[in-house]
Amino acid sequence: MAGRYQHSKTTIGVDLFQKVSEARVLMVGAGGIGCELLKNLVMSGFSYVEVVDLDTIDMSNLNRQFLFQRHHIGKAKASVARESALHFNPDAKIVAHHASIYEPQFDISWFKSFDIVLNALDNLAARRHVNGMCLAAGVPLIESGTEGFRGQVTLHMKRLTRCYDCDAKPTKKTYPVCTIRSTPSAPIHCIVWAKSYLFNQLFGNTEEEEPTINLEETSQNAEEMAHLRHENEALKRLRDAIGSDAYGKLVFEKVFTDDIKGLLLMEELWKNRRPPTPLNFEEIAGNRKSTKPMRDSVEWNQWDHKVWTLEENAEVFLESVPELAKRLLEQRRTDPNYSLSFDKDDDDALNFVTATANLRAYIYGLEQKSRFAVKEMAGNIIPAVATTNAIIAGLIVLTAMKVLGGNWSDCKNTWVASTINPERLDKPNSNCAVCTTGSFILTINTRTATLRDLVERVIQQHPEGEDESQGLGISGEITVQEGDRLLYDPDFEDNMDVTLKDLGILHASRVMITNDDDDEETKNVTVVLHIVHSDSLGESETLFILDGDRDIPPRPRKPEPETNETKRSANDLTEINGESSLTKRRKMDPEVTAVDDDVVVVGD
Amino acid sequence: MPNAICQARLAEERKQWRKDHPFGFWARPEKNADNTLNLNKWSVGIPGKPETPWAGGTYPLTMTFPDDYPQKPPKLQFPPKFFHPNIYPSGTVCLSILDEEKDWKPSITIKQILLGVQDLLDDPNLESPAQQDAYVMLKRDKSAYVKRVRAQAREYASRE
Repeated sequence: MAGRYQHSKTTIGVDLFQKVSEARVLMVGAGGIGCELLKNLVMSGFSYVEVVDLDTIDMSNLNRQFLFQRHHIGKAKASVARESALHFNPDAKIVAHHASIYEPQFDISWFKSFDIVLNALDNLAARRHVNGMCLAAGVPLIESGTEGFRGQVTLHMKRLTRCYDCDAKPTKKTYPVCTIRSTPSAPIHCIVWAKSYLFNQLFGNTEEEEPTINLEETSQNAEEMAHLRHENEALKRLRDAIGSDAYGKLVFEKVFTDDIKGLLLMEELWKNRRPPTPLNFEEIAGNRKSTKPMRDSVEWNQWDHKVWTLEENAEVFLESVPELAKRLLEQRRTDPNYSLSFDKDDDDALNFVTATANLRAYIYGLEQKSRFAVKEMAGNIIPAVATTNAIIAGLIVLTAMKVLGGNWSDCKNTWVASTINPERLDKPNSNCAVCTTGSFILTINTRTATLRDLVERVIQQHPEGEDESQGLGISGEITVQEGDRLLYDPDFEDNMDVTLKDLGILHASRVMITNDDDDEETKNVTVVLHIVHSDSLGESETLFILDGDRDIPPRPRKPEPETNETKRSANDLTEINGESSLTKRRKMDPEVTAVDDDVVVVGD
Repeated sequence: MPNAICQARLAEERKQWRKDHPFGFWARPEKNADNTLNLNKWSVGIPGKPETPWAGGTYPLTMTFPDDYPQKPPKLQFPPKFFHPNIYPSGTVCLSILDEEKDWKPSITIKQILLGVQDLLDDPNLESPAQQDAYVMLKRDKSAYVKRVRAQAREYASRE
């Protein structure tokens, strides 16, 4: 039996191995990184891991999430990851939660029960949530992400290092409406037009604009906007012809011929641009030839990877429009408001978007793309590379071992690009709005306690002694909020006598308190209260129990994450060991936040 | 899940506004169905400057904050068809400090934004028209434009 762990004991020493085997580990996410990580953990001597993932296994996961096989499709990732990892090491204890990390069962006491938390997530919101919980629970967090050949592993510990929110995160790209609607200058503009504009106009919900198009902004020209509105109304009228045999041709001539001719009339638009070329339906599609044999042939892969000819694009367009129209009309028989939405895994929808985008690209003299490439761009697919996930998962385990060994000075953040770049941990950003807060666990009876109790007793009442039933003694003007809901401030006292429960403050809610004391600005603080509901409190003398460090740091004057720009001037380069400039490299290798959700194989 | 950075900043903006805001303006978060206030969506009133055709009116807007505010700017919207060359037919305000590709900076406060919109009322930017009606009228017939602006000011007459 000793054999299983001998390599680990030899490598890290018996003492550290002991700590590793006794550690309680939480792993959030059992996807690309999570599968690699769970296997590594149980193989290297970790013996207690809880896994949380709300997802089920999809076919597209199998190329890199090696704990999953074809017969697992549709099953919960957390449970299958557990089963498969137990084959590697039946002695490990793994607890699987097929659930969302936001659920109230994963409250602050639960987070506190772990020695370390490992994030293997695919989205910003969940990362921020876990970051907040780990800060409040005082548990070290190892954060990770990959995208293609790049990735990073970072370590976060309250008061000791930067938290996940100390640095600004990249935001989602949007496109100005006129670029999309009248003056595309790159293939992606045509793809966004096909997927977010034309698809929705023909088959979707026309009232809702896709958020990737920034509809209103940066129009330079009123005439152009008027033209676009006119174009839009004509298209709506065209929808009445849906289902008729001529529908495809009508749409084709409308959007690829007539609208383009209309745009050409606005001469000032084309003074410094190549004018678009309207298509002639008869020339291109007068002689239709089905693409079905091509699509059905064994060489599907070629069909998917080659750039279609103009005629092929037109044919695919004319084949996909009636298919989508038929589906829409069938659904509308039972639900008159039914609408289709673009799904990259829907063959007809992807064919439509590919053909439409390419026809439009041709009109504007832009590069055309294969169906495969369009799928990646339209579906916002981030290429995932199993090897990158494996490297990152390995680094997570090494970092976790150093943390468990208490070897903080040896810990690094690691950025993987073409090389593996370790860098020293940075101190917290003193202006971070997230990790400069005080945090407390407030046990209270949410059914009987009112907002007034919270404000006047918990927050304002001055403590007499060190007792946990004493108030925080926060002075000045108080603001109480939960997420984006403002519950109380000096100009808003409507809810004072409403119970916390009726205000939606329940077990595991997070309430944020800020104060403003003009006399003593240094006493201005932000405090997060993690609510624990207790039925027994409030009956007796004790109204509440407040557990946390009462030495609350002052609130920064400008609570903001640091951007690359501010960091460059603020960061003292000697602090990072004389290694190559941190900020310069960060700019080159932006942090990966999206990460590995749905994916295509890169390589062969 | 709301973003803590965004929420902290909105709470701060609300506080600053409560303490000090320019005369004749108002700005407050809208009420939720559960009787709490929604920090992501504010109702705003901007008075026209004295001695301009806009004077006498207080113009209502909604100000919506995206989840990645203050990295991204809020969106400001007058009632639909509001008459001004730089207001889109939907009511959305076209202003460079509200455009992340142009002059938006996370340090810009709500007070600065609203003062900026007040300036825009009587000082439209003809380089960047957003609606045809007001733009064309201002270019072709200034006096008709002014008359129309005055009528709109009466329509939105300040309550006091």
